[in-house]
Amino acid sequence: MNVAVAKPNRANKLKSTRIAGGLVNDYWNMVWRAKAEGKLICWYEGSAINPFLQAADICWVHGEAYSAMLAARHQEGPAQQAAEDRGYMKELCSYARTHLGCAISNQRNRNDTDTGVSNAPDDSDLASKLPPPDMIISAYAYCSTGQQWDEMTSRVFGKKIPIFNVSIPWIWGSKKDARYLHGREWEESSKYVARQLMDMVKFIEERTGKPYPWDRLREMMGQVKRASELRLEAMDMCTARPAPASFFDWVVSIAPINNLPVGPEIVSYFQTVRDEVAARVGAGEGAVPKEKYRLFFDGIMNWNKVGWLAEKFAAYDAAVVVGRYTHMAFWQEPDLIKASDPVLGMAQNYLICPNNHSAPILIDLIMDLCRKYEVDGMVIHASRTCRAFTNPQFLIADAATKRLGIQTSMFEGDVTDESFYKDELLNSRVEAMLESIDARRMVAA
Amino acid sequence: MDVLPDLTGAPVERGPDREMNVETDRILARLAACATDPLGYARAWKQTTGRPVIGSFPMNFPGELAHAAGALPLILQESSDPITYGHGLLFPFYCGYTRSMVDQAAKGDLSGLDAIMFGDHCVQLLGAADAIRMQLPNTRVIFFQLISSMCDPWTLGRSIESFGELKAELEEFMERPIEDEALHASVRLFNRNRQLLRKLYDMRESGALALSATQMQHAVKSSMIMDKAEHTELIEALLADVELHPRPRPEGLRLHLSGHFCQAPKPEILDMIEGCGAIIVGDDLYHGFRYISTDVNPEGDPVAALAQWYMARNTGVPCPTRVQNNVDWDEYLLKAISREKAQGMIVLMAKFCEPHMYYYPEVKEAFERRGVPHLLIETEHESMALEGLKTRVETFIEIVKRREAA
Repeated sequence: MNVAVAKPNRANKLKSTRIAGGLVNDYWNMVWRAKAEGKLICWYEGSAINPFLQAADICWVHGEAYSAMLAARHQEGPAQQAAEDRGYMKELCSYARTHLGCAISNQRNRNDTDTGVSNAPDDSDLASKLPPPDMIISAYAYCSTGQQWDEMTSRVFGKKIPIFNVSIPWIWGSKKDARYLHGREWEESSKYVARQLMDMVKFIEERTGKPYPWDRLREMMGQVKRASELRLEAMDMCTARPAPASFFDWVVSIAPINNLPVGPEIVSYFQTVRDEVAARVGAGEGAVPKEKYRLFFDGIMNWNKVGWLAEKFAAYDAAVVVGRYTHMAFWQEPDLIKASDPVLGMAQNYLICPNNHSAPILIDLIMDLCRKYEVDGMVIHASRTCRAFTNPQFLIADAATKRLGIQTSMFEGDVTDESFYKDELLNSRVEAMLESIDARRMVAA
Repeated sequence: MDVLPDLTGAPVERGPDREMNVETDRILARLAACATDPLGYARAWKQTTGRPVIGSFPMNFPGELAHAAGALPLILQESSDPITYGHGLLFPFYCGYTRSMVDQAAKGDLSGLDAIMFGDHCVQLLGAADAIRMQLPNTRVIFFQLISSMCDPWTLGRSIESFGELKAELEEFMERPIEDEALHASVRLFNRNRQLLRKLYDMRESGALALSATQMQHAVKSSMIMDKAEHTELIEALLADVELHPRPRPEGLRLHLSGHFCQAPKPEILDMIEGCGAIIVGDDLYHGFRYISTDVNPEGDPVAALAQWYMARNTGVPCPTRVQNNVDWDEYLLKAISREKAQGMIVLMAKFCEPHMYYYPEVKEAFERRGVPHLLIETEHESMALEGLKTRVETFIEIVKRREAA
């Protein structure tokens, strides 16, 4: 007997985000060519200091972005294996493990000169293809892993690469005047980071041997500010029902705001995205065709699973409309950036990465987002090796239940190590949450 | 034959000299009791003195400040209790120390503390800080973030600022100023305590002291808990007694113990290692030499002196939780082992300890390059399969012996 099986509903992804794929490819091709073109290369992690580097004609490589790119292309294996071979354990941040694996592969290729064969990496070996750094800048908010990862990178390269550390304090927020972007602690931390950024510029000048091009930085930060405003405007439009774009569309749009070259292209990109979102709102077109549930996504992305998860939630008619990772990060406070004098505003944006406020402030912000986007539930990705994200998750879940009365569901995964992801656990837990939402609706009706 | 009591815990023949070590036994029992029940000690101290107890997290809180303010500084310890409530606040893939601390807070065990101080930069500790603050709404939880990048031009200045802010917050909490004179006195007392403990270390290294690794841990760990004057008196008395009745320490393969930062290694592991035929002659454990390695300058501006101490101790005994490009933990360890005439090293790594996991490959490669044998043991808060570990340690010891005999 033939049984007709209904096709699951598919995610209706934004068309404009396809442009991001091309921009990302162009950027990495630029990175891979950089050495041959005689450019200085800087490796960095965490905060988006890339405008400082780009302005000085230094090629920038964001460690997480490289690891994420490898994972998204399912090519993270060789780098992670190289790291494991050296003794880095699986419980370490998989971003760091993957990136350190690239450093190790790179060193192995450069130093393994007695084999009688060419040491040039195979063009498809993306781990080895990453050009080695001429300098390292560490500017990591909240997570101790960032500085330690950079330090170990420096040691993998024999401590021969100049390294500069920017220390970004955590906002503990225990004083009476402490609120989001407010209070003595906030003001002092902002100035402290800004002072270090000025010293970082001196470090850059020493590397390039040229005076720092402040005018170029100012122009670029004007473009970052505009791109950010457009991005936030488009996100805001997703309060509409059905939501015209999903969390996964915003994940795809992280690279353009976070680490792609700053210029008119990123402004144009977010203008296009914004216009498509506006058009969808006008047409009543949703990112999930039959939007039945609206969810908040807490946690960092599973980079091996972006498309997979987008389809999975769409198949449940669940629109993941908002998330901590996408909506609370990446130049998310453009009003703080003064294009004519951008350093303080840059420092402040580095200070408000989604983890760098302690739980009371962070939870208030998340609850506000849940209310704004009228979510029915919260799905929490407990990323096994990213404790920066998992730290407050039980507190967030508790607050969501007690303050908003919404259901939460947790699943375990990881940023770039697919082996921690358990599909069946996610299925059963999300299904249970959605059934619970249904039951509540029935009672309310 | 008269054999003096063996302080390693091995069976002893009792003879006429037994009374000679009654005092030593009494002191060691007192230190062990405090080390195994830190919160019980703190409760009793508070009841007796009527003064506040300030709990702190490892590893760089300057107890001198709280002491000078009239409080008991207590470094909070991992509990041996199974984790229950804590599972609802932190994931199981966190180190045993952070999970245990959150669990103790959730169970109400920390309710006798008047304040808790966090001062370190480890992402898991930050998670614990948030969870604990939420669990203890009526306890002052103070966070001061020490710069962890140790060789920047501004490291000293920033450290002075951080210690200054901590002092101001303590003064506000205690509602009294911390005078320089009082702080200098506390520094002198703490220095004296560290010096005495280092003397124990020297004696162990030279073979003049027959304390087991667990007993050495109790000596240091109790210093993190007890009233410093009381502890100092006990260590003075212990030194006097063991110097009066010197005994050769047992024979065995000389090993250095490395690792374990925030939490003390479980005594059963230490006993197991020594039971396999090793003697521990040195360590860089936090509940060991790392804690007592460096003194504070007792003169001049005491806040600046604390900042200098913070920097100096990382140069003296490098710590993977800090980043300092111009010092190498692996080189430090190789030098320590050479000085101690250790024949190998056992690395104790607390499961999920990220700083240690980052640095371990550096140590591993350096030791392999020099041909110094070492064994990595990953430890857990929950019970471990000791028999399996024992087989690994026995094999390691056998390999080292055979290699030396070859």
